[in-house]
Amino acid sequence: MLLVFAGNAEVGAQRFLKLEKDTIPLFRGFAVSFDLAGALQMQLSDYGQYEGALRLNLHDQYFPIFELGLGHANHEEDIVTGLSYKTTAPYFRIGADFNIMNNKHTGNRVFVGFRYAFTSYKVDVAHPVYEDPVWKWDTYYNVDGASCNMHWCEILFGLDAKVYGPLHLGWSGRYRIRISHNDGSVGKTWYVPGFGLQDSSSLGYTFYISLDI
Amino acid sequence: MIAVVVCQFVCSGLASCTSIECPIQNKVELVCLSGDTLKDTLTVSTIRKDGTDTILLNRKQDATGFSLPISSQHDIDKLVFKTEKLAVVDTVWIEKEDLPHFESVDCGMAFFHRLLSVRSTHFGIDSVVISKSFVDYDLSTAHVLFYFKARP
Repeated sequence: MLLVFAGNAEVGAQRFLKLEKDTIPLFRGFAVSFDLAGALQMQLSDYGQYEGALRLNLHDQYFPIFELGLGHANHEEDIVTGLSYKTTAPYFRIGADFNIMNNKHTGNRVFVGFRYAFTSYKVDVAHPVYEDPVWKWDTYYNVDGASCNMHWCEILFGLDAKVYGPLHLGWSGRYRIRISHNDGSVGKTWYVPGFGLQDSSSLGYTFYISLDI
Repeated sequence: MIAVVVCQFVCSGLASCTSIECPIQNKVELVCLSGDTLKDTLTVSTIRKDGTDTILLNRKQDATGFSLPISSQHDIDKLVFKTEKLAVVDTVWIEKEDLPHFESVDCGMAFFHRLLSVRSTHFGIDSVVISKSFVDYDLSTAHVLFYFKARP
């Protein structure tokens, strides 16, 4: 009687384990993507970034990601203040996305994620020669190649839709948290490659096209 | 799903906004304190590029503290202190390093300064010392302390 009971229990356990076994492999490939929003921003304004990313797909649920970009700003003689600001530098972000959809294997994904990011950049700031208001001497305001850097984190939410075959389209909204920064001798900096405008909102976004490989 | 992705991105773009955060207090001045209340009338002037003089502080009475403009980009500011009761004129030289300061392209530029030395003649001024060498937007702390001689 005891042996029969023990035998039934073993069969039940095997069935349970069999049901829980996932047939989807851990490594599901990787994807490369390009940020369209940053490139469009570069064309429409005087700052922006070109950015690409490599994302691993682990079990359609975990997506370690490495993002590499080139940020650029060329603001020439502001119409109000007369200031010019130039910088061009690379930046990177590293982190992971988590697919929070119930059915993770449809190809469409809803993400939450985090990033650590860093950039080291140089800034040129200039102003046309002006007259000192009291002494009337010519005054030259010029900062050449001030070395700066910044570490920051991002938490993000995003959607990724399968368009056709391996082609995906997606966006992410990001909240940026500055960890540390060195603005050099200039006081503060304006556009930081990858981070955006320092005196503006902490929110950012990407709109990307990606290809599963 | 594709329509959702595109629509939400467009909506987030339309809803996004920016703000400009420039400092409200954006004057850079030399804050001076008198060691004791100056029982006299004080006028401070300087010589401009074209050789004419201009008044920086006009007939201030019983001065305990006052602010003076500081040149944006000149190694030494030469100031002339004239007191009426004692009827003397002193010259003060303020040697400094000029540091371009930047906040944002929307905020305009400024110069901060590091005071290197200050010296004067001693007809009406007993002594002058640097109290705080860095001159920036902070006008709450004195940069230079003046000690005037006793009035008759």
